[in-house]
Amino acid sequence: MDTNFARSRRRDLIVAFCLAATAAVVPLFVKDSYVQNIMVLTLMWGALSQSWNILSGYCGQISLGHALYFGIGAYTTTLLFTKFGVLPWFGMLGGGVISAVIAMALGYPCFRLRGHYFVIATIVIAEIGLLLFHNWDWAGAAMGIEIPVRGDSWLKFQFPRSKLPYFYFALALACVAWFVTWWLEDSKWGYWWRAVKDNPDAAESLGVVVFNSKMGAAAVSAFLVAVGGSFYAQFVSYIDPESIMGFHISLLMALPAVLGGIGTLWGPMLGAVILIPLTELTRSYAGGSGRGVDLIVYGGLIIAISLARPQGLVGLFSLGRKEAAR
Amino acid sequence: MTAETIIQSLASGLLMGLLYGLIAVGLALIFGLMDVVNFAHGEFLMIAMYATFFLFVFFAIDPLLAAPLVAAALFVFGALAYLLIVRFAVRAKANAGMVQIFSTFGLAIVMRGVAQFFFTPDYRSVTHSWLGGKTVSVAGIFLPVPQLVGALVAIAAFGALYLFINRTDFGRALEATREDAGAVALVGIDKNKVFALGWGLGAALVGLAGAVMAIFFYIYPDVGASFALIAYVTVALGGFGSVFGAFAGGIIVGLVEATTAMLLPPSLKAVGIYAVYLLVVFIRPRGLFGSM
Amino acid sequence: MNITRRNVLLGATAAAALGPIAARAQTSEVVIGVIYPFSGASAQMGVDAQKSFETALDIINKNHDFDLPLAKGEGLPGLGGAKIRLVFADHQADPQKGRAETERLITQEKVCAVIGTYQSSVAVTVSQVCERYQVPFISADNSSPSLHKRGLKFYFRAAPHDEMFSAAMFNFFDAMKKKGAKIDTLSLFHEDTIFGTDSANTQLKLAADRGYKIATDIKYRSNSPSLSAEVQQLKTANADVLMPSSYTTDGILLVKTMAELGYKPNAIVAQNAGFSEKALYDAVGDKLEGVISRGSFSLDLAAKRPMVGTINTMFKEKSGKDFNDLTSRQFMGLLVMADAINRAKSTDGEKIREALVATDIPGEQTIMPWKRVKFDELGQNNDADPVLLQYIGGKFVTIFPPQAAIAEAVWPMK
Repeated sequence: MDTNFARSRRRDLIVAFCLAATAAVVPLFVKDSYVQNIMVLTLMWGALSQSWNILSGYCGQISLGHALYFGIGAYTTTLLFTKFGVLPWFGMLGGGVISAVIAMALGYPCFRLRGHYFVIATIVIAEIGLLLFHNWDWAGAAMGIEIPVRGDSWLKFQFPRSKLPYFYFALALACVAWFVTWWLEDSKWGYWWRAVKDNPDAAESLGVVVFNSKMGAAAVSAFLVAVGGSFYAQFVSYIDPESIMGFHISLLMALPAVLGGIGTLWGPMLGAVILIPLTELTRSYAGGSGRGVDLIVYGGLIIAISLARPQGLVGLFSLGRKEAAR
Repeated sequence: MTAETIIQSLASGLLMGLLYGLIAVGLALIFGLMDVVNFAHGEFLMIAMYATFFLFVFFAIDPLLAAPLVAAALFVFGALAYLLIVRFAVRAKANAGMVQIFSTFGLAIVMRGVAQFFFTPDYRSVTHSWLGGKTVSVAGIFLPVPQLVGALVAIAAFGALYLFINRTDFGRALEATREDAGAVALVGIDKNKVFALGWGLGAALVGLAGAVMAIFFYIYPDVGASFALIAYVTVALGGFGSVFGAFAGGIIVGLVEATTAMLLPPSLKAVGIYAVYLLVVFIRPRGLFGSM
Repeated sequence: MNITRRNVLLGATAAAALGPIAARAQTSEVVIGVIYPFSGASAQMGVDAQKSFETALDIINKNHDFDLPLAKGEGLPGLGGAKIRLVFADHQADPQKGRAETERLITQEKVCAVIGTYQSSVAVTVSQVCERYQVPFISADNSSPSLHKRGLKFYFRAAPHDEMFSAAMFNFFDAMKKKGAKIDTLSLFHEDTIFGTDSANTQLKLAADRGYKIATDIKYRSNSPSLSAEVQQLKTANADVLMPSSYTTDGILLVKTMAELGYKPNAIVAQNAGFSEKALYDAVGDKLEGVISRGSFSLDLAAKRPMVGTINTMFKEKSGKDFNDLTSRQFMGLLVMADAINRAKSTDGEKIREALVATDIPGEQTIMPWKRVKFDELGQNNDADPVLLQYIGGKFVTIFPPQAAIAEAVWPMK
C-alpha cells in the first residue's frame, strides 16, 4: 500500500505540473480582459480555498472566519504602502507573518472548542475584526483606502490594464498552496490528522502533538490567506472593510473546497474552477434584472451539489486515490 | 450618563433580549433534536415577516391575530424544509457536518432570491396595527408595547415549550429521539416523522417571532441577515440544545448589547456580544447550559 | 437525433454570439453602461435607477416636446439619429465586482460611457477603470466629496456632493437663527459605512467652523437589529436639531424607536438617503410631519416648469413612485452624458470627455433646481444648488434657498 501511495503521490505531482503549465499558456490565447479577470479570480479563490482546506479540511477545524486573515493581509500591505511607502512585496510577507501569529494566538483558546462552538467563535472573531477596522479612522475606517496607481510597475505590483501579471501571481500562489498541501499530506502532521479524523479517541492519546500540529496548520493557512488578501488589494487597488473582511469572504473560501471535496488535495481547485466562473457569469448575465434569479441559481446549485455529492465533486474524477486516502 | 438613561437602556435591552431568545429558540430546539444548525434560520424569520405583512395588506389581519396563522404556515414550511432537504443532508455518508451547513446555507440564498423575485427588494412595513407605535411610560422609562408584548409572547412560548417537551407524548418522543435515534426506531417511532415535527415546531417558533417583529421592524429580502448571527450566538452562548439556554442567552445578549452601546461607540455594540460569547465558551466550552 | 440536436444548438449559440457583433457594426446605436446594485441589500436602488434611466432613454430616443437636451426628435442628431442602448450591470455593492463589471462593459459590450453607482465605495473602482480605459464616467448619485478630488480626467458629477448639501443645511441654520429660531446644539446620528462617515465628517467640520455645538455624535452599525440604546442617547442629549445620515432601513427603525422611547426632537434635518425614500414615508410618514431633508430635486418645481410634472408621470408609470432625490439625479446623469456624446459626434472616449468639459446646460433645461450644468477642472458641477425640502401634509415642499423656496419653513417641526 505504501508503494501505491507513493506512486499516486508522484502521479499527483506530475498531473499538477501539467495542469499548471497548461494554465500558464491559456492567457496567451485568451486575450479578453473580462475572461482573464475570471481566471485570476478563479486561481485566487482556488488558492485561498486550498489554504483554508489545510486547517478546516485536513485538521477538521471548520473556520468561517478566515476573512480576518484576508483582511489583515490586505490592510497590512496597503497601509504600509500608502502611509510609509513600503513596497507591497514586503507588506505581503509582513501581513502573512502577522496573520500567522494572530492565528496561533487565537487557535490556542479556540482549538478546545468543538463543532459549532468553534465555527461560531471563528465567525464572531472575524466580525470583531471587521468592526474594529470599520471604526479605525487612521486605517481609513469605512471610507477605505485607494492605492494610487501610476502605471505599470513590478516593483509596486500594479498594472492599470494588463491582467497577465496578476494572473501569473495568482497561478503561483495556487501552485504554492497546492504544493504545501501535497507536502503536508505525506508529513507527520498529515498522518496525525488522518488518525484523529478516523478515530476521535486517538486524539486523546496524541493530545499535545496534535494540538501543536493544529497550531502549525492554522499558521500556514493564515499566512497563505493573508498573502492572497495582499494580492487582492493590489488587484482591486481599493479596499474597504466591508468588501475585504465581510462574512461573504470567509464563505467564498470555504465553498470551493466544500463543492470540490473538503480535505482532499484536488477539491478546492476543482470547486473554484466550477464555482467562480459560475458566480461571475450568473451575475453578469442574469444579475442585471434585479429579480434575484442569480441568487436562486447559485443557492440551488449549492444545495444540489452538497446533497448529491457530500464527498465533493472530486470523486467524479479518477485523479484522487480514494482507497489510499481513507 | 444619568440613571434614567441607564435604566432605560437596560429595560430596552431586556425586552429586545427576550425577542432574541424567541428568535433563537427554534434553532436550539432543532439542534438539540438532531445536531443540525439551520443556517437558513434568519430567512425563516424573513418569510414569517413577509407572511405577516401580506396577511395585513390583503386581509387586514392585525399582526397579533396573524401570529398563530404565521406560526402554522411556518410549521408546514419547516417540516417541508426537513423532508425535502435536511433529511438528505443528515443522511450523507461523508462530511455530514459540512453538508448540513451548506445545504441549509444554500436554502438561505434561494429563499432570499425567491423573496426578491416575488416580493421585489423594496422595503415594506406594517403601517398600522393595534400595538404599533404605542408605548407605556413608567416613571419616565418608556416601554414600547410591541416589544413588551413580544417579550410576553417569548416568555409564554418558552413556558409552553417547556411543558410540551416534558408533559406530552410527542415531547417525550422528541426527547427520546434526541437521546437515541436508533433505539426509538425499535419501539416503533418513525424518526423522520419526529424530526419533521421538530423542524416544524422550530420554524413555528420563529414564525411567532416574525409576526411580532413585523409590528415594529422593516421587512425586505435580506432582513434575516441582521438577526441570524445574533441568533446563533444566542444559542451557542446558552449552550446548543438547551431550550432554557436560548432563553437565558437571549436575555444576556440583549443586556450586553445595551450595556456596550453605553460604554463604547454604538457602532461597536456587537463587539460586546461577541466578546461575551468568546469569554463564556473559553471558560465553559459547551456554553452556559449546554449538556452535550 | 442527438447529433442533429447538438448541431442545432451549436448553430443557435453561434448566431447568438454573432448577433451583438452584427448589431454593433451599424453605427445607429450608441451603447452606454449603467452599473448599479441589482441584488443584495440595496437591490431596490438599482431597480428604481433602472426605471429612471429608461425614462430618460425614452425621452432621448423618442420624440418629446420638452425643453431638455435631446428631447425633440429621435436619437442623437449629432450621430445621424443614432439611438442609445443601455446595458445594465450588477455590482452587488462590491468594489471588486464593480471593477470587473466595468471592464466587461467596456471591453465586451463596447460601451462608450459609464454611469453609476449608488454606493460611493464602488464608484471609486468604477471610476478607476474608466480612467484606465479612457471612458467617461458620470457619477450620477454618489455624494461622497472625496470622489471628485482624486484628479481623474474622466470623472464627472453633475449633482451636488455632501459638502455642498451640508453647507446648504448650515446656511439654512444661519438664516433661521437670524429670524430668531434657537439653534445652538446639533445631534449627529450617522451610519458607519462610507456615506454616513463622510457626511458626519463634513457636518462636524462645518459645525466647528460656524460655531454650532455638537451635543452628541452617534455612529451606529447599519442594519442594526435595534437602535434603542442609540435613540436613548439622542434623547438625553436633546439637541436643537437632529441630523441623521441613514439609509432607508435604519431610517425606519430610527423613527419608530424615537416614537417608542418618547423622543420628539425639535427639528430633524436629514442627509437625504433614507429620508427621501417613499418606503420610509409609507412606513412612518405620520411621525415625520415637518421633517427637513436636503435634496437636489423637488416636485414642486413642476409649478414653475410644467415638464417636470409630465416627466415625473412618465417615471411613475414605470416605477409606481415619484421621482426622488436619487432617481432625478440618475435621470439627469444620462441626459448630460447623452448630450455630450451628441455634441462630440463620436463615441470616442477622449472626444466625449472634451464635450463633457465643454458642457453648459442652463438650469431651465433640466428637471432640477440647479443654476446650470458646467463642470470645473475636477469634473464637479458647482452650480448644482442643493435645496432643502420639508415634508408637510404628505408631500415635500421646497423651503430653502429663498430663490427656490415656495414656502416658509415650519420650525420647530410638529
